[in-house]
Amino acid sequence: MKHSNWFNNMPYNKVKPSAVQLHNIGYNEFLHRIPRDSSIFNDIRTTLFILKATGLLPFYEEISSYEVGPPTKPNIFYSYFIRGVVQALTIFNLYNLVTSGSAQLFSSYSDTDNVNKWIEFLLCMLAHSTTVIICARNSKSFLKIINEILKVDEDVFDRFGTAFENRCGFSLKFIVGICICQWYLIILTVLEASDSLNMNSYIFIMFNAVQNGMAAIFIVFAAALLRIVKVRFAHLNSILSGYTYNQQRKQEHFAGRERFRNTMETFPEESLFTYRMHNKLLRIYRSINDCCSLILVAYMGYAFYTITTTTYKLFVQITTQSYPQISYNVLQTCFTWLAMHTCVLALLSRSCGQVTDEANWTSQVLARVYSKSKDHQNIVDKFLTKSVKQEVQFTAYGFFVIDNSTLFKIFSAVTTYLVILIQFKQLEDSKTVNNSM
Amino acid sequence: MAHRTVQPILVHFGTLFMFCKVLGLYPHDLQAFQRMHTLQGSKIGTAFVCATILAVVVAYNFLIYSFADEDRELKEAQSTLTFVIGIFLTYIGLGMMLTDQWSALRNQSKIGELYERIRAVDEQLLRENIVVDISKTSQRILIMLALTVICEVTILVSTYIILVDYTKWISLLWIFSCFPTFYNSLDKIWFANTLNALRQRFFMINTALDGMVESHEKLKRWANTGGDSLLSTRKPSIANVSIDASIEYLYKDFTHMEAVKKFNMPRNKITPIAHSLNFYGESFETPKKPYKLSIQPPSFNMVYESELSRDIEKVEENLNNLCQLHDEICEIGKQLNELWSYPILVLMAYGFLIFTAQLYFLYCATQKQNIPSLFRSAKDPYITTIYLCYTAGKCIYLIYLSWKTSLESKRTGICLHKCGVVADNNLLYEIVNHLSLKLLNHSVDFSACGFFTLDMETLYGVSGGITSYLIILIQFNLAAQQAKDAIHNADESVSAMPTTDGGNTTALMELFTTTFLSSIHTTPY
Repeated sequence: MKHSNWFNNMPYNKVKPSAVQLHNIGYNEFLHRIPRDSSIFNDIRTTLFILKATGLLPFYEEISSYEVGPPTKPNIFYSYFIRGVVQALTIFNLYNLVTSGSAQLFSSYSDTDNVNKWIEFLLCMLAHSTTVIICARNSKSFLKIINEILKVDEDVFDRFGTAFENRCGFSLKFIVGICICQWYLIILTVLEASDSLNMNSYIFIMFNAVQNGMAAIFIVFAAALLRIVKVRFAHLNSILSGYTYNQQRKQEHFAGRERFRNTMETFPEESLFTYRMHNKLLRIYRSINDCCSLILVAYMGYAFYTITTTTYKLFVQITTQSYPQISYNVLQTCFTWLAMHTCVLALLSRSCGQVTDEANWTSQVLARVYSKSKDHQNIVDKFLTKSVKQEVQFTAYGFFVIDNSTLFKIFSAVTTYLVILIQFKQLEDSKTVNNSM
Repeated sequence: MAHRTVQPILVHFGTLFMFCKVLGLYPHDLQAFQRMHTLQGSKIGTAFVCATILAVVVAYNFLIYSFADEDRELKEAQSTLTFVIGIFLTYIGLGMMLTDQWSALRNQSKIGELYERIRAVDEQLLRENIVVDISKTSQRILIMLALTVICEVTILVSTYIILVDYTKWISLLWIFSCFPTFYNSLDKIWFANTLNALRQRFFMINTALDGMVESHEKLKRWANTGGDSLLSTRKPSIANVSIDASIEYLYKDFTHMEAVKKFNMPRNKITPIAHSLNFYGESFETPKKPYKLSIQPPSFNMVYESELSRDIEKVEENLNNLCQLHDEICEIGKQLNELWSYPILVLMAYGFLIFTAQLYFLYCATQKQNIPSLFRSAKDPYITTIYLCYTAGKCIYLIYLSWKTSLESKRTGICLHKCGVVADNNLLYEIVNHLSLKLLNHSVDFSACGFFTLDMETLYGVSGGITSYLIILIQFNLAAQQAKDAIHNADESVSAMPTTDGGNTTALMELFTTTFLSSIHTTPY
């Protein structure tokens, strides 16, 4: 029994079960329901599997299609084991970084570039270990989030008989893209190295790629979660928008006065249900924010730094003349880095912006509900009053708000730093010439 | 008595539309516009616009090419940073024009709907007895057009006479240098006037609400002074006094002072005013005058008591309608902003870059350095001033208008509350509370693709940005210049130069070498 072809913007007045009916349906369905894949798992199964396999999320049990249970003992041990291995490798890499173990990787650059690269590796490790640690700490919360989303799904399904179409296909594409980028970067790095690399360097490069990839994949997962929440918010909004004065007028126009009355009668019931769901979704939204915000800060700092230095490297590479010709190897590396991080950042800020807009849109939709009856007005007022001071924002640990304008801000900051870096470069150049003369 | 039909505002856009159509900026159907004043897509128009795009692009490139001789010298002689910036800036004007035309093509099916919605709003406003005066629109358009043409022509002609070598026939191509800005200005005039129309409608709603307040205040004042004598004779004997009170300010709406009025003053005062028209008919006339809504014919008077329950409903409906109209206008504003989001973004980028560049090149010109051929107007400070005023005027006016419009839309809530305060009764308060919660959620913020909002804060930020980038550019320039001098000195003393041996040395490298050489003599940082 598949519901993926049911669109979430179904006519809101299609099913209007009374309270009694509703309960009946609920329990009957619960008892006789054929176990089926709920759509949330269908859409992000691969992402979830990757995250589970790498120890970021626990291997939970699927009790029913609308509930997941805590992981079993062996699975918990597996997660611990993986996390331990990962942390051990991180320490190994860190050791390599501070000792001369990875000196091979820094041979071909000038001093400033080497420092940049060194910091980049460090930040990458930081981002990844933050991800691992926070995930380990919040594993229960992630399960709770998934359970709550499923609960909302169940409620909506009971009421409207619709399942959601999450359109999370993008996550898979992004993951594939990230993996390709990482492999490409590994190959480029190996090719770039002048002398043959030793074992330590290989391990370092490989694990660095894994760290980088995992940090990015987790962001994709967060984006997918946000998309799922956004779809649910959008569904609630589409239910309510049937009661706005524009829609009512249209219906009045088509169906005459009789129908018009009818549709407004269901308003209290539906709106109360919607409020409840909206509150639940807001709670989910906040807990997603709580779970991810530190990871987001770490990743965004890392991505910002990488984008700045990569752009700078690109600039130097294009303008410099000290080498016989432009190194295409470095150019490709720069473009791959830029493409990967820009895309992931764009995805993140877009999903955050979308879900925030959608959550805020509800009150705007309700503001368009005009009703003669005082009860209805009170219902509307209650929600609107509640949402006056309620700030729905996705923040990076309270440091800054992540929405559509974040990308713009990041790029204007990158431009400014680029100018500063170029000035430094000139200083450095002039110093070397000064010394040589 | 107002006539019961509304003119679409497009009636006043006739001149502008002809300009846009003839120059190939807008693809819409000319006949449909002339006959019905609607904007409809047209295949021929699309083809014409495409042809214009092609022609202008070709001519513009030809212009750049034919004036590029100097640029080649420039590249060799001058700081390359100037050159690179020049190339980029040369094309941004063209890019802006292409964005305008492309979005006009893209929006041609949607834009008609926008004006249809404005017309529907006008009709509904008329139903609320609010007449929007749009006669000024055509005048405003004409002024803007005239200003644009004057600026363009002044810049073009003065540059041509003073700075272009007009002995060569090829210099006639210079005319094309003003095409992108002119096209852009036309498009922005169109946008600005539509925006202004929206702002006017917000303003009319606010005025209507203010009018209610004012007339009610006058009524109250009259009641306090004139109604006292009546107090002793008549007590508020009507059963549903509270409902009475709720409709006080609607008073004039209802009655042409024929019916017997029973007024209940705010609860905290003890001045129930009941009076008959017979006594106070004259004094009633005065408070009514400013009230624009009172177009009810005198025959409308009816048995007052029976209408009481409808009165509060009538107030509510009236306010509801205004609220819905407010929402509708907000929605139209959002749609308008969406249709023009890319042109506005590009215009703002253009304004920022060109303003910085023109000032920078002005600096270069005063230092007797070469500048890109397309920016030769920077050689003359007066032309530069006009040019800057023109560009800045365009950007600032749009920002200012957007800002004013969103302020005007926010003011509606204040006006609504005034109504509540003046009437001072519970039922009306409830309505006002309910509606003001709704108004709070009607948002119209004009933004460029969501990147930044168009308001005064942004304007401040942009002007700060221009200043700091100008300083950075001048620093670069100074450094390069000093380095060049240093090279010259070195050239004279030492015969061989280490950096100029290869022909493939790029300009930016030159910049760097010159910069670091300069630090031998002076340290600019």
